[in-house]
Amino acid sequence: MSTSSENGVVYSRLIAKEGDESIYELFIGPQHPSSGHMRFIVRLEGDIIVSVDPDIGYVHRTMEKLAEGREVIKAIPLLERMTIIDSHNVTLGLVLALEKLLDVEAPPRAQYLRVLLSEINRISSHLYGLGIAGIMLNHSTMFMWAFGDREVWIQLAEDLTGARLTHTYSVPGGVRRDMPQAFPERAEKAIRYMERRLKDYMEIFLDNPQVRSRYEGVGVLKKSEASRLGIVGPNLRASGVKYDARLAEGYAAYPDLEFEIPMREDGDCLARMQVRVEEIRQSMSLIRQVIKKLPQGPIFAEKYTRLLPPAIRQQVAQTGQVKFPGIFASLKLPEGDAVSRVEMGHGEIFYHVTGAGSTKPYRLRVVTPSFRNVILFRYLMPGHRFMDFPAIYGSLDYFPPEGDR
Amino acid sequence: MRVMNIEGIITWLLKIVLSPQVFAPIVFPGLLTALMVLLIIIWAERKIAARVQMRVGPLYVTRRLGGVLQMLADGARYMFQEFIIPDSADKTPFVVAPVMALTLAIVPFAFIPSAPGFVPIKSQYSLPAVLALISTIPLSVMLMGWASNNKFAIQGAVREAFMGLAYEAVVFLSALAMGLLYGTLDLEEAVTKQWLPGLLLNPIAAFTFFVGMVMSAGKLPFDIVEGEQEIVAGPYVEYSGIIFGIGMGLAYLKLYSLTLIYSILFLSGWNPVITPLYSIYPGLAGIFLFIKSFLLMLFIVFLRAVYGRYRLDQALRAGWRVYLPLSLIAVLLSIFLRVVNIV
Repeated sequence: MSTSSENGVVYSRLIAKEGDESIYELFIGPQHPSSGHMRFIVRLEGDIIVSVDPDIGYVHRTMEKLAEGREVIKAIPLLERMTIIDSHNVTLGLVLALEKLLDVEAPPRAQYLRVLLSEINRISSHLYGLGIAGIMLNHSTMFMWAFGDREVWIQLAEDLTGARLTHTYSVPGGVRRDMPQAFPERAEKAIRYMERRLKDYMEIFLDNPQVRSRYEGVGVLKKSEASRLGIVGPNLRASGVKYDARLAEGYAAYPDLEFEIPMREDGDCLARMQVRVEEIRQSMSLIRQVIKKLPQGPIFAEKYTRLLPPAIRQQVAQTGQVKFPGIFASLKLPEGDAVSRVEMGHGEIFYHVTGAGSTKPYRLRVVTPSFRNVILFRYLMPGHRFMDFPAIYGSLDYFPPEGDR
Repeated sequence: MRVMNIEGIITWLLKIVLSPQVFAPIVFPGLLTALMVLLIIIWAERKIAARVQMRVGPLYVTRRLGGVLQMLADGARYMFQEFIIPDSADKTPFVVAPVMALTLAIVPFAFIPSAPGFVPIKSQYSLPAVLALISTIPLSVMLMGWASNNKFAIQGAVREAFMGLAYEAVVFLSALAMGLLYGTLDLEEAVTKQWLPGLLLNPIAAFTFFVGMVMSAGKLPFDIVEGEQEIVAGPYVEYSGIIFGIGMGLAYLKLYSLTLIYSILFLSGWNPVITPLYSIYPGLAGIFLFIKSFLLMLFIVFLRAVYGRYRLDQALRAGWRVYLPLSLIAVLLSIFLRVVNIV
């Protein structure tokens, strides 16, 4: 019996009949060292995977419904929790959509600061992914290094925002805090450290013959398949499709900055990992550019700072820490729809916010990158050896809480 | 008269304890040393990995000694953990198999000489005897997996069977190459025949034996049987308490006896013999043998910080297509060296 996926149809599921004794069914997760917060129903014939059914929903937290039940401003710290490792990127889309609805625009300095934190987040998100991919091959050094070095970027984010993970940095109209004075030096130090470390990463992990033999030619996602299945993020770009919401949408200050979209044609696990490492490099170059080009000016929209009492307005200008005007507690969303797309570390996140003239959104729809990528488990795994399962899983950088929302 | 009697008993006891038949399997290189090695090598493995990975590793148990007693604490914890026998398990083999595996891992020490003339069971065939005993361990591991009646455990048992066949052939052939070269299957004689360490005489056999050893002990990059990321803990998945601890220790015991064999076959064993130590007590002269095999073990556990895990089919392909032919070449090389009468 062979498993084939011609024209994207996975025949294997049809072949695997109920009660067929040649099929060995394994339930992986939700209590399993490498399943994450989800379950996979894996069917094996010998050592070959016949089918994989990702069973998601174990960490579904009704994010959309919760967001519809509270004032819009409170949706930001809520939705952050979907992808706590990438919490600025995940909420930036919401903020952009809200800004469209409220008809307010963040001043240029705030736009640059948004890019700054987004890229810091992207680096730490990719490091998280690299670490998890490492431990899925039982490569504990990669795991420890990536998680250890992620701390550098988390602390950098803490310097900027005051919080390690739940930044709630972008709000409609701007950002919450200005950049501290000592920040550029610290960022430069972190970048130089990371550049050195990336070389070590390549040596111990991606150029390690053992790891290459596990990754090369494994889990190949064809270009046509990738676009047909609606894959996003580094997984898509590793298959040779040049799509990045930062380019396509040109939100925040990205149109003013120069960056490359790392691409690979192979579409295998190795390509996906290499794209992530390249993206870390690009993010660091973006951080350098932002610090260099950062314009002077306010960090919060004039429309809202005007509402503050003069004394507090002055305090905000001096300390660079925004005090929200009272209106923020009852910010009324005008009637209408707004959509936005933002490139997260895992891929593109999509928001659709419908306002109905009340303080709460009538509908808040979010499509997360992990949710769009989860289909890959079903399409990439069949035909591979069982031991490729964690290798492919690691290379997809799937994040269950984000997929489940 | 009574005092004389007690003295007599003491000397009699000492004579028994210090006789190679008791001292070797119980004290050195046997059980006690093996347990010490178990405690220290696992600690060292974790410390080395921690050093590479920018961590401190075990520390808080005996802080002053760098946490060296961590394993003792872990062992005590295992000891007092409830030992659960699943309802669906086949109870007798489930309990017996790990005990059998441990026994089989200890028995080889009866054949391993640790100093000139210091061996519990003197045999012309000590090399094949040791290897045969070690190669029976996978059988009890398979029994563990089968008796557990768990899908992951059975997967692990199947992997053990595949791996066992692949590396055993390599290990046996490399050992045979050395046997041919030295013209003996007696480990003690093999040491005396090494005017140059066996590593230099037949480097191919040394290499293949080394790889077979790493595969056999299930150390990275070949820790396929345990395969935490796919099959949780393989054959040991249903075990808890001290039996789980035994399962974990098994690999290290295997590693210890295999490194002893490696040192004897390829690193000229206990040579150079320290004569003063030998004259005090012959067993003490094995110190060099111990140091060599300990360093070898340190190197093998260090691999964990460098490699991930190979895939099962990759390991099997390597075993059958690369290392088996290589070990055959090693045999040919040995025959050639024998013919030109170099040893």
